Amino acid sequence: MSVAVQDRPLVLGGGHGGLPARRAVIRWAWRLFRREWRQQSLVLTMVALAVAATTVGLGFAGSAADPQAATFGTANRIATLGSTGAQADADVAALRAAFGTVEVIDHQTIPVPGSASGIDLRAQDPHGPFGRSMLRLGSGRYPQGPDEVAITEQVATLFRLTVGGTWDQGGRRRTVVGLVENPLNLRDRFALVAPGRLAPAGRTSVLLRVTDAQFRSVRRPDGMVTQQRNEQQDPATLGVLMLATVGLLFVGLLAAAGFTVMAQRRMRSLGMLGAIGASHRHVRLVVVANGAVIGVAGALTGAAAGYAAWVSLGPLMEPLLAHRVDRFHLPWLPLLGMALLAIVTAVGAAWWPARAAARVPVVAALSARPVPPRPAHRFALLGVVLLAAGLGAIVASRGDRAPYIVGGVLGIAAGLLLLAPMGIAGAGRTARFAPLAPRLALRDLARFRARSSAALAAITLAVGIAATIALSAAVAVAKAAVPAGGNMPADQLIVWLGPGGLDGPVPSLTPEQQTAARQQVDAIAAALHSTSVLPLQAAMDPDTPEPGGAEGRGRPVQQMGRPSLETVDGRTRRHYSSDDADPLFVATPELLRHYGIDPTGIAADTDIVSWRAGYDGYDIFPSRNSGWKPKVQQADLPTYTSLPGALITAHAMDTLKLTAVPGGWLIHAPDRLTQRQIDRAEQTASAAGLNIETRPTGADTARVAAYATATGIALALGVLAMTVGLIRAETARDLRTLTAAGAPRRTRRALTAATAGCLALLGAVIGTAGAYLALLAWHHRALHWLGHPPAASLLAILIGLPAVAYAGGWLLAGKEAPAVARQPLD
Amino acid sequence: MTAVLELHGVSKTYLDGTDEVHALRDVELTVEAGKMVAVMGPSGSGKSTLLTIAGALETATSGEVLVAGQPLAAMSRDERSRLRRRAIGYVFQDFNLLPGLTAAENVALPLELDGVGAGKARAAGLRALEDLGLADRAARFPDQLSGGERQRVAIARAVVGDRRLLLADEPTGALDSANGETVMRMLLAACKRGLAAVVVTHDAQLASWADRVVFIRDGRIVDRTAPRPGPESLLTGEPAR
Repeated sequence: MSVAVQDRPLVLGGGHGGLPARRAVIRWAWRLFRREWRQQSLVLTMVALAVAATTVGLGFAGSAADPQAATFGTANRIATLGSTGAQADADVAALRAAFGTVEVIDHQTIPVPGSASGIDLRAQDPHGPFGRSMLRLGSGRYPQGPDEVAITEQVATLFRLTVGGTWDQGGRRRTVVGLVENPLNLRDRFALVAPGRLAPAGRTSVLLRVTDAQFRSVRRPDGMVTQQRNEQQDPATLGVLMLATVGLLFVGLLAAAGFTVMAQRRMRSLGMLGAIGASHRHVRLVVVANGAVIGVAGALTGAAAGYAAWVSLGPLMEPLLAHRVDRFHLPWLPLLGMALLAIVTAVGAAWWPARAAARVPVVAALSARPVPPRPAHRFALLGVVLLAAGLGAIVASRGDRAPYIVGGVLGIAAGLLLLAPMGIAGAGRTARFAPLAPRLALRDLARFRARSSAALAAITLAVGIAATIALSAAVAVAKAAVPAGGNMPADQLIVWLGPGGLDGPVPSLTPEQQTAARQQVDAIAAALHSTSVLPLQAAMDPDTPEPGGAEGRGRPVQQMGRPSLETVDGRTRRHYSSDDADPLFVATPELLRHYGIDPTGIAADTDIVSWRAGYDGYDIFPSRNSGWKPKVQQADLPTYTSLPGALITAHAMDTLKLTAVPGGWLIHAPDRLTQRQIDRAEQTASAAGLNIETRPTGADTARVAAYATATGIALALGVLAMTVGLIRAETARDLRTLTAAGAPRRTRRALTAATAGCLALLGAVIGTAGAYLALLAWHHRALHWLGHPPAASLLAILIGLPAVAYAGGWLLAGKEAPAVARQPLD
Repeated sequence: MTAVLELHGVSKTYLDGTDEVHALRDVELTVEAGKMVAVMGPSGSGKSTLLTIAGALETATSGEVLVAGQPLAAMSRDERSRLRRRAIGYVFQDFNLLPGLTAAENVALPLELDGVGAGKARAAGLRALEDLGLADRAARFPDQLSGGERQRVAIARAVVGDRRLLLADEPTGALDSANGETVMRMLLAACKRGLAAVVVTHDAQLASWADRVVFIRDGRIVDRTAPRPGPESLLTGEPAR
C-alpha cells in the first residue's frame, strides 16, 4: 500500500460523533445492563418497588379520591330547594329552563328505632345524567311502580327485608324489588323509589353542572341553597404523590450509591472507551444511559407489578374504603408522571457518578485505581449554608406558611445529605486509633467516599424522618398531658349528634329519636361512672334549608365567626373558618347553673354570654343577620375550644327568630379518661349513630411514632444490607490479601460488621441531630415541649440500629461468596 | 518520508505525595509513516508513559508532541478524543475489548464514535476482521474468543478507518509465542500499509521485528539501534531488512 496516503492532512473537525456515536454508546450501555442486570437488581428492585407502591397508593387514593362524587355524582353543584309541592315543581322547571340538563332527587327521612340518624328514602333516576354513578344494582331490579322500593344491604339487615318481600314503613307498604348501593359510599344507608314517586318530598335537591358565570347570570328560586363542588386536586392523590416523591428521593440516594459502584466496576471499560477516542460526553452517556435503562425497566416493572397488586388487592379493600373499587379507574396521568419521575430519578442518580467517571483520566481509568476523594469540606460548607437556610425558613414559617415549611424541610434534608461526607471523612480520621478490622473498615469507607456517602445519606434520610415523627409524637403526647388548653379537659367527653360537633350540620331528631339518643348517652355515662350529663343545645335558624346530598342530613347551627374576604371571579365573598369561630350554645338555665352563672345576673338585653369581652369584627353565620351587633356580657366560661364558651340568650334567640335544637351532651367523668374507656364509648356511640369527642390522649400518636421508628430502622437496615455488600465487594481483593496474610474468619466478620455498624451509627446520629434541629426551629417559641424526649425511640435509633447493623454484618459475613473472590475478566 | 509521531524534548513529572517522580526526561523520538519502532526497557523506565503521551491519553509536562503534524499541547480535551478515534489506534496487553459488544461492533466502535453510520462502520469493521482472518468470529463476544483472537480483534479496531499511528503496549504479553508471532506479523503488515507504529515490549526477539529499537531507562532514551535480521524472517520467509 502506498505511503502517500499518510500525506493527506489530518482534519479533526468538530462535534462528538452525533447520533451514530450516541446510538453506539447507548447500545453498549444496554448490552452491559443485559449482561450485568443481576448486579443492578438492587437498584432496579428499589425503583420498581417505589413505582409499584405508588401505583397501588394512587389506585386507592384515586378511587377514594373524590368523596364529593358520592353526593355530587358528576355534577358540580347541588341546589336544595327551599320550597315543596307545586312550588318545588315550578322551581325545578325554572332551573331546567335556565340551565338545561338538571337531575332532581327527592328525599324523605325514615327514622330508625333506637338511632339518632335516619335512613334517606330517595326518589332518583338510576340513569340520571349526573347521579347514575351514585347508584348500582346488586340484585333484582330498580323500582318502577308507585309501590316499589329498592334498598341497601344495611337497610335490608336493619328492617329484616328481602327482595320480593314487603316493607311496611309507617303504614305505607312497598314491595322490595332489588338491592342497591351507592358504589361511591358503601356506608350510605338509603332506600330508592322511582323518580317522582315520593310525595310529599321532605326536601328536593337538584344536581347541576354549570359554570359560575352561568349560575350567577340567572335568578335563582327563593330559599334555594347550593353546595359547590371543590374541583381542586384531591388531597389524597397529592399526599400519595408527595410520599412517592420522598420515597423516590430515598431510592435516588440508594441508586446513586449503586451507580457509583457500577461506574467503579466498569472503570477499566470506560477507560478503554476513552482510549479508543470516546469523549467525556460519551463516557458520561454510558453511565447515564444505564441509569435511564434501569429507570425505564424499573418503572415498567413496577407499574405492571403495582397494577397486578392493585387488581388483586382492590376488591379486598372495598369494605375498608367503603366504596367500590374500579380496577380500571386509576389516575393514569399522575401515574404516568410518577413513572417519568422514577426514570428521571434513576437518570439523576446516575448523573453524578457519570460526571465523576467522565472526569477520571483515561490512564487512571485503565489502571482501575480509585480516584482520591474530593475534600469533604467543599460539600460541608454548602451543607451548612443549606441547613442554616432550612432552619431559618422553618423559624420564619411560624408554623403555618406552607412554602417556608416545604423549603425549610428540603433545605434541612439537603444540608444534612451534603454534610454526610464530612461524617465519613471524620470516621476515617479516627481509624488509626481502632483495632485492625474497624481500622480497615473506616478507611475503606473514607476511600470509597462517593458510594459510602450516598449510602449514609439514604440511612440519614430514613432515620431523620423516623426521628422527626418520634419527636413530634412526644411533643403531641406532652401537649395532651397538659391540663389546660386544647378542646376540653381530659376527664370530660361530649356526645355530639352531628359528626362535626357544632361545626357541621346537626340532624333534627324526632322526639322518639331524642329519647333513644338520650338512653345511649346515659349508657355511655354510666359506663364512665359519670357524675353529670349536661344537655347542650344549639341555635338554629328554622329558615335555613337542609343541604342536599346523602351527607347533608342536618342543618348548620349558628356561630360567631370572624370573616375573611376572598375574591372569586371579581366577587368578594365572606369566608368563615371553624378555627376562628365560636359555636353558640343556648344559654339554658341548666347550662348556666353548671358553670356557676346566676341567670338573674344576666341583663335582660344581653345577647351573648361569653368568656370574651366582645365580638367586634365577628358575624353571626350562617344566617341573614350578618349585620347583627350583639351585646356581650362577660362571664367565667371555659375557654376550651369545644366547650360552651359562648351562650346565646333567650333575648337574642327571640330577636333573631332562632330555635333551640339538641346538639349533644357533655359528660363529666370522675377521673381522666383512659383510651380503653374512650374506645368503648366510641363503639356504643357509633352503633347509635352518635359521635364522640374527647381530649386526645396521645396514645394513637405514640403508636404511630413507634411504627415510624420501627419502619425507619427497618429501612436503614435495608439500605445497609444493600450497600455494605457493595462496598465490601469492591474491596474483595484486599480481603483476599488479608486472608493470605493469615487473618482469621473473625477478622473478616469484624470488617463487615464494623462497616455496617459505623454507617448505621453515623446515620443515626446525623439523622437524629437533623430531626432535633428541625423541631427546635419549629418549636423555637416553646422549646419546653422538646423537654420530653421519646427515650425508647431514641434508644432504638441511636443504640439499637448500630447494634443490629453490627450484629447483622457479623452474622452475614461468615462466608465469602465465590463471585466476590473472583475478579471478572474481559 | 512523513513523520507521523514527533516527540521533542518531552518530559513528564508526577507528584507522588510531596516527591517528584520523573517518568520521562527530555525524550526525542520521531516515527515515520510505514515504520515500526520498538521501545524496550526495564519496568518503571517510562515506556508506557511514553506511549500514553504519544497517544494523547496524557499530557507532557514539557516538550512538544506532534501527531500527523498536529501539536497535542494546543488541543482541547475533545480534540484529543477526536484525534484518538480518527488517527491513533491503541493495542493493550490485556486486549481491552469492550464486554457486551461483538467483535465486529468492537472494531466498528471508533468509527461510530466518529459519526460514521452504523451500517458503514460495521462494513468497515467486518473488512478489517476479514483482513485479519477473523470474519467467522465477527458475531462473537470477547469472552467467546481465545486470547490470540481477542488481540487480533484489538488490532483490527486499532487499524480500522484512516488511522495514522498504531501504539501497542506489550501486545504479546498475554499470549503464547505462536500467537505472539501472529500478532507481530499483523502489526508489521499494518505498518506496511502506511501506519507508523510504536510497540512497547520486554521481548528482544519480538523487538527485532521493528525497524528501530529504542532503549529507555529512568525516563531517558539511552540507546537507539536498527535490529539485525531476527528469527521472524525465518518464520515468514521474508528477506532480512
